[in-house]
Amino acid sequence: MGKAWLRDYIIRRLFYAVIIAWGILTITFILVRVGPTSPADKYLANLAARGEEPAQVIAAIEARYGLDKPIHEQYFSYIGNLVRGDWGWSFSTSMPVVKLIETHWIYSFQLILFSTILAALIGILIGMYSAVRQYSKTDYIATFFSFIGISIPNFWLGVMLILLFSVKLGLFKTYYDTGIPLLSLANLKQLILPVITLSTGMMAGYTRYTRSAMLDNLRKDFVRTARAKGLPERVVIGKHVFRNAVLPLVTIIMFDLGSIVFGGAYLTEIVFGIPGLGRISFNAIFADDYAVVVAVTLISAFLILLINLATDIAYAYLDPRIRYD
Amino acid sequence: MKRTLYVLLLAIIYWYVAGFSLLLFHSPGVVYQSNEEAPKPAKEAGGVFISGTSAGDAETLNWILAADSASFGYVGHTVDSLVTYDNEWRVQLRTAAKDVEVSEDGLVYTVTIRDDLRWSDGSKVTAEDYVYTLRNLMFSSWLNYPYQGDWQEEVGGKTVFVTPGVVNETTFNITRQTVDPEFIYTVRNLIPYPKYIAVKYEGDVKAFTQAPEFNNLTYTGNLGPYKFKEWVRNDKFVVERNPDYYLGKDNGAPYFEQYIIKLFGTSATAHAALEARDITYTGIDPDKVSKFKKMAGINVYTVPTTGYLLLAYNQRGNGWEGLKIKEVRQALSLAISKELIIEQVLYGFGDPAFSFIPKVSPWYLDKDMTKYGVKPLLDKGKAKELLLNAGYAVKTADGSIEVRSKGGKPLTLTLVTNAGNDERENVGYLVKEELGAIGINVELKFVPWATLLGKYLKNKVPDTDQEPGYNNGVGAVSEEPWDLMVMGFSTNPLSPSGQDVFYATKGGLNFPGFSNPQVDELFKRIKSAEALDEKAQKDLYAELSQLVSEEQPVDFLAFQLANVGFQKKVKGIEPGINMGYNYHLWYFE
Repeated sequence: MGKAWLRDYIIRRLFYAVIIAWGILTITFILVRVGPTSPADKYLANLAARGEEPAQVIAAIEARYGLDKPIHEQYFSYIGNLVRGDWGWSFSTSMPVVKLIETHWIYSFQLILFSTILAALIGILIGMYSAVRQYSKTDYIATFFSFIGISIPNFWLGVMLILLFSVKLGLFKTYYDTGIPLLSLANLKQLILPVITLSTGMMAGYTRYTRSAMLDNLRKDFVRTARAKGLPERVVIGKHVFRNAVLPLVTIIMFDLGSIVFGGAYLTEIVFGIPGLGRISFNAIFADDYAVVVAVTLISAFLILLINLATDIAYAYLDPRIRYD
Repeated sequence: MKRTLYVLLLAIIYWYVAGFSLLLFHSPGVVYQSNEEAPKPAKEAGGVFISGTSAGDAETLNWILAADSASFGYVGHTVDSLVTYDNEWRVQLRTAAKDVEVSEDGLVYTVTIRDDLRWSDGSKVTAEDYVYTLRNLMFSSWLNYPYQGDWQEEVGGKTVFVTPGVVNETTFNITRQTVDPEFIYTVRNLIPYPKYIAVKYEGDVKAFTQAPEFNNLTYTGNLGPYKFKEWVRNDKFVVERNPDYYLGKDNGAPYFEQYIIKLFGTSATAHAALEARDITYTGIDPDKVSKFKKMAGINVYTVPTTGYLLLAYNQRGNGWEGLKIKEVRQALSLAISKELIIEQVLYGFGDPAFSFIPKVSPWYLDKDMTKYGVKPLLDKGKAKELLLNAGYAVKTADGSIEVRSKGGKPLTLTLVTNAGNDERENVGYLVKEELGAIGINVELKFVPWATLLGKYLKNKVPDTDQEPGYNNGVGAVSEEPWDLMVMGFSTNPLSPSGQDVFYATKGGLNFPGFSNPQVDELFKRIKSAEALDEKAQKDLYAELSQLVSEEQPVDFLAFQLANVGFQKKVKGIEPGINMGYNYHLWYFE
């Protein structure tokens, strides 16, 4: 790197990241544990059907998982285990939390990665063209489609795609099959509808951001200067305008990628039956499975903090005027 | 123009990508090909049965730790209970060699298991395994088995466990000190843990919870029609044909090579999967039944359930005081049409309910029931008269009756239910309409489930440090006031006396605060020696049904009917309340 200030900055930011992550962990732990109901309350319907006395069953479940202990005892026990590398046991899925995350992160990751790449490629291209041809028919058309893309709920779009391409045309299976190897053409095929669903909204967003950032820069003096120098329009747009406009987009795209851990693709996962981390996290919340909720929140927070840091560093390289003291 | 076309192309390239992808990846072999084109001979082993569900995933395969029903459902594919029941509640022997025998005094239950049951290591399943499971695991203090209450009784003011004992290799008994005629249903459901494995973990709850043998069902031997293969959380549970299944000797091992439970996030996607023949079976929402019935390759069966919708009346201190009066509860029930609810909310898939005992229960009796909410006891005029007699209405100069509070003001009641449950919300709207017709204004509150539990169901005596519970006694009230609540309960048709948790004064789930000494007494008598005689038991249930149908602790609205859709190629199904009892004999045509 060769920049001492940058090294110091990174160390300082990492230190802050640890402190912030600990804060998030603590708040999440307390929020999950001080809710109005007990984790055992979710069995109420089953207890009622069996004619069971709920107090006895709830007490037994709470005792087994140590939920009957004071919250500070539970907290320090959890932190102690965490320090020793034990992330706990997920009682709503009956497996170690680490193994649960290890098993399921890839399903969310592949979906969000492909969706982000597709959305970024197409969204940025359309956004650039829209900006360069502002108020043209094509700009209006692109704007129209962008607003449609932003407005369509993933949930609805996914179901419609399934009904059209899977049920009516029979081109795809109606759900994601985890039995298909990840590194196979068949897996890519079964990701097509989920990726289209998830990337539609993202693409529309990127189009709007790119258009707006490009328009900002197109009005700047340095563009006029570049044009006055006689540079070809392709170079003015591609090298001068786009490079400046791309900075805020980098942040947005990085954060979209960072959402793999917690719920970024939840609705798409629900519609297509993908057992990704979004689904795992939300089910854990409803099951009051605090070991999973705290773990995914912690990992998510750390990831976002690291992405934030990486974005800041990328800024420093992309824009020599930026310096962090 | 050329540029416009170019940008237009970019704008919709996304969809082109999708289109090209469809062409690129499309192959005719992927399209579903119905087996009807090339029928296989019946009962030839093969095929994969995929059961789609939008209900939640199981929590564990280590069943003794489970409190959810899905976990027992998953394990049930690999380990049979002692007996099961057909659609007429006739006992079907499973791991029991004969039905559980009960001594004349109703205190000793003798169980004889088959002598050909084997664990995975080839060793025999013995009576000792069953007794060990009861005594060392289910009754232990270290494991906290959630349903210990099923195996306990009150003796001299103390709660004690029943006493299991080994008689010989294949026979064991369970001795009670008090009579409970319905205890037999608990015994019949028993399944064992292998003692030779469980002893390794005994006393260590963490080790037991995480034991690989129990979490991967590696011990199940020939005890179930299927063997565990794979469980991907929130995705699927896969079991495969067990060629050694002990019933195989008599009926043939299961037909299907694999049985998969596939989880869907919504019923809409499960429906789509059945429509596309990607799955073999799923439940059909009432509003989609007519659509599926028109499909050539699908059979839809309507079957009874044990679930019922009800309107709870808050009889605690923070509910409208009128609800404590029987005649007032009757008046409200007189004004609400059950048939309207069945038609408009359940799309016709329901039976009017008049007590908590469903029609499919062997203890159901129609005679002498007071049938509020259907004609002739669907009568808004009579409802107003009852309210007038109770002091909650006034007669105007023209002779008409206007419902009023005791203070003479218009009467407004608060109806609460859980948000997001369309069925219950729609019942709420109908109740508002029906009660509005007799001059009672109903305010609707739809709140999240956790809020409903924490602030409306749980109660405590005010200004005490009592821990909130579902029934903290007569003086307890919920944090938020309410008058009416739309809920769904479920009854075990074989032992409806379990409903005492809702309707007995001290019932642990009696959150509305209903109290009637006669009802309490009948629940007690049904669980006493008096009910050992089947006719006497039936008479007691009849008396209890008649009493609650008149008392109206809640307005019993409707027993729901379920609809299930199968691909037509599935044969051997016997639609009914226990449709899956013979599922190991189902096959593809």
